Amino acid sequence: MSVKHSLLSLIYEKPRHGYELKIGFEQMVQGLWPLNAGQVYTTLDRLERDHLVETPGHDKKDRKLYTITSAGKEELWKWLNQPVGRSLFKDEFYFKFLCADQVSYENKEEMIRNQKETMVKDLLHLTQLKKQMMTPENRTMKLLLEGALLHLDADIKWLDMLVDNEMA
Amino acid sequence: MINVKGLTKEYKTGKEVVPVLKGVNLTVEEGEFVCIIGPSGSGKTTLLHLLGGLDTPTSGEIQLNGSGITSKSEKERTILRRKEIGLIFQNYQLLPTLTVYENIVFPVHADGKKVSAETVQELLSAVDLVGFEKRFPNELSGGQQQRVAIARSLIHKPSILLADEPTGNLDRQRSSDILDLLSNFHRERNQTIVMVSHDMFAAGYADRIVLFKDGVIEAQVKREEDDYAKFLTRFMA
Repeated sequence: MSVKHSLLSLIYEKPRHGYELKIGFEQMVQGLWPLNAGQVYTTLDRLERDHLVETPGHDKKDRKLYTITSAGKEELWKWLNQPVGRSLFKDEFYFKFLCADQVSYENKEEMIRNQKETMVKDLLHLTQLKKQMMTPENRTMKLLLEGALLHLDADIKWLDMLVDNEMA
Repeated sequence: MINVKGLTKEYKTGKEVVPVLKGVNLTVEEGEFVCIIGPSGSGKTTLLHLLGGLDTPTSGEIQLNGSGITSKSEKERTILRRKEIGLIFQNYQLLPTLTVYENIVFPVHADGKKVSAETVQELLSAVDLVGFEKRFPNELSGGQQQRVAIARSLIHKPSILLADEPTGNLDRQRSSDILDLLSNFHRERNQTIVMVSHDMFAAGYADRIVLFKDGVIEAQVKREEDDYAKFLTRFMA
């Protein structure tokens, strides 16, 4: 996940100070990803160093305001347009499954069942969250949740397939 | 509110008696969303048909909002059904020669009553079918047909909505739309819903899951209980 580009997109919308960016980020992700204030300021320092944002002044409460530069906009468009690949082994469970086979792990079935239970928990949580995202202003978040649920659906089917395979 | 006590249902095939429900006790509170799951032949659809007054039990009692339906005549059951129950089926069961609008108002007109255009428009809007009023079922996708069926089931403002595998014929995306819609009616109108499904996603929308096995309730779990996910994982492979 690119905090850098999330902050750039928030600054693109309007000039903001550090705390406003932290709040804006957390609103954007519906509070599902609390962002450490330290991470916000470290990222802002790097963005400023790389001339992607600048600090033309302060607000009424003397807080440093950040605006996006033309290089910052260019970086943001470039990032948005860059397709995202999916690595086979980025999913830790894929790797666990591989390693379990390597060591002839005896509790493989339990391992798969526990994984499925965790995914079902996620599925229930995201379904409940989606139920709260039915208003037009939450449309984008609802679409993201639809995507996550479709992935979970496929993952759970795959886990069922693994169990069938283990029992065969 | 639904109250079911000692419900049994047997079917006779020649000399053989096949018990489908073997003494079911179930209470569904007003405004509750209950999902009934279980393998094929476990009795879940039979229960739904009995709740909807589409069939009569062999023994036992069903009360809808305090009114017993098992002792009523077929005519009385029909009257009660038209007042209290909305039904949704897997295969939509729309009348092919009627338009969307005519299908939606059909239950009210069949009852010799009138319904305001405003009420129909409100429902069309809720199921996102404004502009589709004059289309016929064969001009709609499966998901759109099910949305018409949902609007039809709610036109007479029933206190209880019974849904039999409402997403059974739909792909994941269309299923999701239908479940969101049911969930909206449940949340915004405090609609009591009893849904039969074999789909884990569908079950995830409910307040309570009831598992049927061999004609009896084997287990049930409420959303707030810690082992809700464990229950789903175990029973919905």
